[in-house]
Amino acid sequence: MAEARFDELIHAPMRLRICGLLRPVEELDFAVLRDALDVSDATLSKHLKTLTDAGYVVSNKAASRERSDARRVTWLALTAAGHAAFDAHVRALREIAGSAGEAT
Amino acid sequence: MESNFVNRPDDAPSAEEAARALHTLGDDRERMAEGIRVPWPLLAAFGGVAAWWVSAAAGTTPGEDFHAPTTGWLGLVAVLLIAHLVQREVGVRFRGMGATATWALLGILAICLLLFSVSLGLVSLGATWAVSLTALAAFGITTWLAGLAYRSAAERIGRG
Repeated sequence: MAEARFDELIHAPMRLRICGLLRPVEELDFAVLRDALDVSDATLSKHLKTLTDAGYVVSNKAASRERSDARRVTWLALTAAGHAAFDAHVRALREIAGSAGEAT
Repeated sequence: MESNFVNRPDDAPSAEEAARALHTLGDDRERMAEGIRVPWPLLAAFGGVAAWWVSAAAGTTPGEDFHAPTTGWLGLVAVLLIAHLVQREVGVRFRGMGATATWALLGILAICLLLFSVSLGLVSLGATWAVSLTALAAFGITTWLAGLAYRSAAERIGRG
């Protein structure tokens, strides 16, 4: 098990939530993530760019005939580095929270 | 509890803030899991493939001259195609299905094999018309179990 490590880049509330939703899945569509977080495309894109630049998130686009609102579906996933950083950050939060965070 | 992890910043969150952040993660996952709708039309397509495969028994001649229908490979291709469409439709690629979903998928395989065998028996008895009933059963059971498997996999996200 990796050690707890506080990651300031991940800890920004929206980026923490993005990583939290990407963690239990293999890949998630941009639109599903946007709707789950109830944010605008621009806000989500800005935080995703930060995470992508840090090497924590990777995206790939696939052609879509089903979607009328966009020609392409953007699949998002945590990288191995993203997984490790998020898990270590969550452990750090649990240590900080102590008994207050036991329920999660 | 004293936190002793590396690189704790000076402006690290308080215990309450950290606990709140962790709760938010759990809430987000639960909300996303609840928001994932089961794509019933595509799951019914799985049922259609199962019904098609079971009904292929009607075109065989059980006994020494029995030749297995060639629909098996086509059915497998159809299943893979539908699975791809399900991912595209819902926008989620699951990391794993979980025990319940795995059992449901194994149940689909077992029931389809059983219904195919029953269909062969019906054909050998001259009751070819009755294969429509086993095909209908394959459609219904496969669609239902596929829905159960999908719902279970989605709920697994909510549990993190």
